[in-house]
Amino acid sequence: MILQPLPPRILSLRRIPNADPALLVAYGADPARHRSLGLITVDQDDPTYVALDEATKHAHVDVVFAKSFYAGARHGSGPLSGEILGVLAASTPSDIDDGMRALVRCLESDACFYAADAAKKTAVFPHVIASLGHYLSALAGLSPGDSMAYLVAPPMEATIALDMALKAAGVKPAKIFPPPTETNFAAAWLSGPLESCEAAAIAYCEAVVRVAANPKGEVWGS
Amino acid sequence: MRLAATIRNVVHRFDTLREVMAKANPKKSGDDLAGIAARSAVERVAARAVLASVTLQTLRQNPVVPYELDELTRLFEHTLDEPAYKAVAHLTVGQFREWLLESETDGLKIRSISAGLTPEMAAAVAKLMSNMDLMTVAAKCHVVVRANTTLGLPGRLSSRLQPNHPTDDLAGILYSMREGLSYGCGDAVIGVNPATDTAESTAEILTAIDAVLEKNEIPTQHCVLSHVTVQMRALEIGCPMDLMFQSLSGTELGNKAFGISVALMDEAWALMKAKGSARGPNCMYFETGQGSALSSAAHHGVDQVTLEARCYGFARRYQPFLVNTVVGFIGPEYLEDGPQITRAGLEDHFMGKLLGLPMGCDACFTYHARMGQDELESLKVLLAAAGCTYLMSLPVGDDIMLNYQSTSYHDIPSIRSLLKKRPTPEFDAWLVERDIWDYERDLPGRAFGKPEAILP
Amino acid sequence: MSRTRQLIARLRDDLGRSAPMPAAPPMPRIPEPPARVFPRRQEGSRYAREAAQHTTALLGIGHVGTRYATDVVLQFQAELAVAHEAVAAELPEDWATRNGLIGLRSRVRDHREFLLRPDLGRRLDDESLARWKQVGKRGVDVQPILADGLSAVACMQSGLALLESFTKACQTRGLTVGVPVVARHARVWLEDEIGATVGAQVAAILLGERPGLGTGDGLSAYLVHDPKIGNTDGQRNMMSNIHARGTRPEVAGERLAVLARAMVDQKRSGVALDLSRLTAELGEAASRAHRAPEVRVRLVEVQK
Repeated sequence: MILQPLPPRILSLRRIPNADPALLVAYGADPARHRSLGLITVDQDDPTYVALDEATKHAHVDVVFAKSFYAGARHGSGPLSGEILGVLAASTPSDIDDGMRALVRCLESDACFYAADAAKKTAVFPHVIASLGHYLSALAGLSPGDSMAYLVAPPMEATIALDMALKAAGVKPAKIFPPPTETNFAAAWLSGPLESCEAAAIAYCEAVVRVAANPKGEVWGS
Repeated sequence: MRLAATIRNVVHRFDTLREVMAKANPKKSGDDLAGIAARSAVERVAARAVLASVTLQTLRQNPVVPYELDELTRLFEHTLDEPAYKAVAHLTVGQFREWLLESETDGLKIRSISAGLTPEMAAAVAKLMSNMDLMTVAAKCHVVVRANTTLGLPGRLSSRLQPNHPTDDLAGILYSMREGLSYGCGDAVIGVNPATDTAESTAEILTAIDAVLEKNEIPTQHCVLSHVTVQMRALEIGCPMDLMFQSLSGTELGNKAFGISVALMDEAWALMKAKGSARGPNCMYFETGQGSALSSAAHHGVDQVTLEARCYGFARRYQPFLVNTVVGFIGPEYLEDGPQITRAGLEDHFMGKLLGLPMGCDACFTYHARMGQDELESLKVLLAAAGCTYLMSLPVGDDIMLNYQSTSYHDIPSIRSLLKKRPTPEFDAWLVERDIWDYERDLPGRAFGKPEAILP
Repeated sequence: MSRTRQLIARLRDDLGRSAPMPAAPPMPRIPEPPARVFPRRQEGSRYAREAAQHTTALLGIGHVGTRYATDVVLQFQAELAVAHEAVAAELPEDWATRNGLIGLRSRVRDHREFLLRPDLGRRLDDESLARWKQVGKRGVDVQPILADGLSAVACMQSGLALLESFTKACQTRGLTVGVPVVARHARVWLEDEIGATVGAQVAAILLGERPGLGTGDGLSAYLVHDPKIGNTDGQRNMMSNIHARGTRPEVAGERLAVLARAMVDQKRSGVALDLSRLTAELGEAASRAHRAPEVRVRLVEVQK
């Protein structure tokens, strides 16, 4: 079935209630404000970025570290590595707990890749964030509460689809990541009113499905 | 024998199997005329329910016209193929219907038992079948026969060319014949109903047709549809005759009204085998039609569908080349309107094929029936889709001698195109050679509809 | 459910749940329209003209694809309408008396019953039977009966001419002829009761045939020796297509008299009747030589 959700797998979930200051600094935290850390590894990076950002809306947490690993989850260094390590920092462990709960909730029921073909060989991430948290808004040069379409797909599909998305709705590119990303995909962050972000995401997703089905032809048929 | 069924707590009882058979028919004006039709739609279904649970053996043991009264009944009983009969005798009519419809039951399996079926068995199962059931089973049965050409192969639809003339004017007949040939018609037979029934005119018409066929090297066969005794006399006089024709009825009394009997037909067949001009073994042509026995009060209280099946039981004795019902010809008193004529055409074609005949159909109506051109065209397509071996063909379907409406010269290539059917293989080759049909593009050839191209 | 999940679920339904759209097969491009579509040229046909000398069959009419030209369709539908009208026509109640004939009725009560109940059309109603017993001449050689049959139109147009011609021809051949009658809502076998009632040797019913396309004026004649209720078709001899385009009534009357004479001489009819020495007089050969049928009448003209 096309557009079947491919749920991300949380590979590991840990907490350091009272982290060493040197560790805090090394992972981008501020010892003056932060004491506790929450860590997560997942087999899908982009949904995790979204989930980390989501956590900042539901708890007093900062996303101090989030990096994608080269070549993706299938080439992880170990069984727990996945393709991303994300770290939340807060002043108390209970804040970390609140943040981690929001993070996990988002990964379990919201942000995920979808299969663009029935054989599930091509994946697409056509996510709409209705209201940005502190983390992604800063990276995108937008304000918390703004809407944003976060769109990822393999190189060819993503390029064609991004063109369609930009034309489909009143959205502006906040950031475009041409291929290859660390995981060999391409990505784009588009901003605008919520309806426009949704229209862009739908257009993007449909285009990826069609390109996957017609690799050499016209996207929309002759 | 207890013959009863209960529907919604009402018990419907029937006295005889003959009554059950009659009341199981769909509505037909002929059954109403004979006073044997079901009195209500519910009674009809009750009759069908009873019929569905009767075994084929019971049907054999209870022929609708008694053995003592009718030479056809005696003929059927004595010539039934016992091993074939034994294979199916235990089945109920309902089970038989299902066996015929199953995918694993192909045409050859059906042919292997068909000589073990009495006509009553074919009629009984037809009464339980919808129009599409009838078409589905009939389409499986391919009956291939040979006279001068090979008729009945799968994927083929042939036609009788019927160039009738009200005074048998030879020039008029030949003009019409050449037109029909230019449309691709006539591969089953060139068959003329003569206005007057004499041996001389029969011989004369056959000779004229034969000359045209020879001059143009047309692979088909000819026939003049006078009374069989007249054709026999014509053969004695001496003339080419590829097929010998007769109308058949389903009872001894009905055949007497036609002026024939089993003995006479045996004699006719023997004469044809000795003196007929066709090269292949199949040389007889029969026409039938629901209602013929009733129209001469020779029906013995039996319904017209069962009697029609008995015509086929009679016909198969002579390994005919052609058998067709003339479905809407006898009149609205037997088949009142389009739906009744359509149903009868499909019933007749199915029963004929089931009993092993190369069954065709004259899809037609008379002008006093309630049927129009559109409905008739639909019936022609249904028959062709069901694998009907041949249809008739006349100029715009208008028979200027018999005054009825049948299939037209134009209809034959139209139906063949629609359903991707072709004529007999020998005629097919002739059409290509004469550029009458272009099979590469499946379109008319350059000589299509140009009767001048055919030498008179 | 998350908003994105909802959106994508809806997109999934729109795109269909099956495997993704395979590549479209190469389809021909729709060409530019022609500058102008020209209508088919109507052409006369020499074949049609030649054939019309010998037959009224619809020949040489050409084709569009494998179907008929519009003009042919209209002509044909007009003829069918005329035929259906002829079927529906009925013999007026007073037609018999107006033409000096005894009028009899069968047991049929109305036209639909006539079409569906041939059994009722084969017997006289009680009143007619009683009247016929009174006025019929007994013991004649031939009892002629004019009847509507399936075309009252034919009966009214050429019926009298045929009756007259037949009666005279019988008398010329030394046969006595019964009181002339016309029967209403009559079927062929009605001749059995009418003939038997007066003890005629031969009964001869002259009745309207089923209408053909374009016209309903054809008559058929059925003759039977020793008319009695219970006779069947095998015992009758028939002649059909008696009309201006087939066998003319004057000619038919003569030939029917030949048949009647043969029946009286041989004391039989039907298949058993020996016609071998009569082919010349029954001569279809004679007719072919000198008479061409009428041209088929064109029924439809559009006012321009």
